[in-house]
Amino acid sequence: MQAILRTLRFTGFTLLEYLRSARILLELIAAATFWYIFLRRSGQSIDAEYFFTVTGVFAPALTLYTMSAVIGLGDRPQGYVLLVRKLNRAQYLIGLFASALAIVSGVYGLVCLTSAFLNPPTNLTLAGWGLGTLPLLLNAALLSALLLMLSPLVFSPGWRLFVLGLIALAFSGSFISGPFLDSLPVTVIDVLRAVQAVLGAPLVPAFYGFQLSMTRDYSTIAAPVNLLAQLMLLISLLGLAIYAFSRRDLIFSAQ
Amino acid sequence: MYAIEIEQVYKSYGDFPVLEDLNLRVMQGRVYGLLGPNGAGKTTLIHLMLGFLKANRGTINVLGTRNLERVRGRIGYVPERLRYHMRYSAREYLRFLGQFSDMDAALLRQRVEEELERAGLVNVANRMLEKYSKGMLQRLGIAQALLADPELLVIDEPTSGLDPSGQRDVLDLLAELRSSGHTIFLCSHQLGEIEELCDDVGVLANGRLIAEANVHQLRSSDVSVSIQVDRLSPETRIRLARISPNIKYGDHTILLHPNNQSLQHEVLRALTDAHVTILSLNPLERPLERLYLQAVQDEAPAFFPSPPVDETSESLLSPGFDVRDPLLKDLLNRYLNARPNGNDEAKGADQTDGSDEKR
Repeated sequence: MQAILRTLRFTGFTLLEYLRSARILLELIAAATFWYIFLRRSGQSIDAEYFFTVTGVFAPALTLYTMSAVIGLGDRPQGYVLLVRKLNRAQYLIGLFASALAIVSGVYGLVCLTSAFLNPPTNLTLAGWGLGTLPLLLNAALLSALLLMLSPLVFSPGWRLFVLGLIALAFSGSFISGPFLDSLPVTVIDVLRAVQAVLGAPLVPAFYGFQLSMTRDYSTIAAPVNLLAQLMLLISLLGLAIYAFSRRDLIFSAQ
Repeated sequence: MYAIEIEQVYKSYGDFPVLEDLNLRVMQGRVYGLLGPNGAGKTTLIHLMLGFLKANRGTINVLGTRNLERVRGRIGYVPERLRYHMRYSAREYLRFLGQFSDMDAALLRQRVEEELERAGLVNVANRMLEKYSKGMLQRLGIAQALLADPELLVIDEPTSGLDPSGQRDVLDLLAELRSSGHTIFLCSHQLGEIEELCDDVGVLANGRLIAEANVHQLRSSDVSVSIQVDRLSPETRIRLARISPNIKYGDHTILLHPNNQSLQHEVLRALTDAHVTILSLNPLERPLERLYLQAVQDEAPAFFPSPPVDETSESLLSPGFDVRDPLLKDLLNRYLNARPNGNDEAKGADQTDGSDEKR
């Protein structure tokens, strides 16, 4: 219980500092611009699918910026004074993650509220909004956890390069193809495809989550299974990040 | 019992060794000063003790355990550089830090106010830290370290980057902690502050502890001194000449070289009996400096050349009694207190540094 309380307090501490640093203004300006360009659409109504398609791209983009900024706050020598207390490394990392997610969720919520009042999607009920939002925010959380794991705070440069290499291999299907692929020996092609399939597997819940957000089709078992897969993947990424962060030498970036 | 026990610790960054088979022990309730040039590995050692870094080999036992996760919250830490979360006021910041130490809300409120008071920050407690001076930040650093009443206080370069006034404030604050019985581990490359605050001193260079000493014993060793007086009468000169050929004197200066305790006592007795106003007593060499330099240099001289006597320095001193060197102040106190009728000067000297009395 104390551990949860400590994590929540650190989340609040980070959020307050983030708000006071005025970095939040950038998110608000980006959200307003996004809404004006994609969701205002003067004289035109928008439907739910369009709404979740565009917000499904906006939310990860926002996550990219926010998580990077929050990691910047966490990766400073100021952290030593916090971590000498009962706040441990796992709570520190989860606090940073939760802060970023709270900011992204808050800004996303503002975009949704603005849309609901000024140009509501035609076929979107509150329940539908919830069903579309859940996989979308899980994707934002997944991206946050991945960014956190790949940050200098958690992974050493060597490990970062290794994981980025794996991610590149997982996506390599789209850029290693055509004549170049045909020129490779059959065995190499088979191995490459097997590696792509294995490494690409963790990406499936994220892509399917994006699709689920647009369709909000929960009629098959695949939908809840995918939510569970997103959740499991999130827990795995966070677990890996915490494990790595707890075992490494803690040397904050000098600023 | 030892508050800190470090055995055969080796730490490297990649192939670059920072600490090599380091052994160090700090008794509970003592103030240990670790001296060393920049880059000697002092901060690395502190970060190992706090569990921020992992040793490649060797054992680190802090407050009775090797599991440094267990000592979380029992150590107060003042980092070298004044890097705090600047978008909070001191009061807000201390409250958050107390919450991270699981302090009870009512106790936390009380402790925050006490520490703000002790650090002299009550009047600026609601001001954002970004508007604080370096001295104020350093005092806040000590306040945050003491907030949860830690068993061990680890301080890295307490006066680094501070102006003389800020340095004095911080040293006074640390002297107060010292007298309250805290175990303190202090890293510095300032000999003066180690000499003033510490019971024991170690010298770290090139990742090794190359010397250790008890500061009080070191300070009790005989040191040649120069005594500045307002004027020496011919009678007093004759009396001084009879005491020892080691005494050299001019109109305003008496030089004891080589010195020893009984010689110094006799001279001081002669001067006080003759009602000579003593303006200052200054060492011609500092034992800690000698230890440090001998440790870090291969061929350091055993004794250092005496500094030239600066007659003009008298005019800078306040009238009356002023002893700048703690060793000499201590010796003088002991001598004057031993006399049947201690005079006002002795009382004045006692009041200047209460910590000396305890020794």
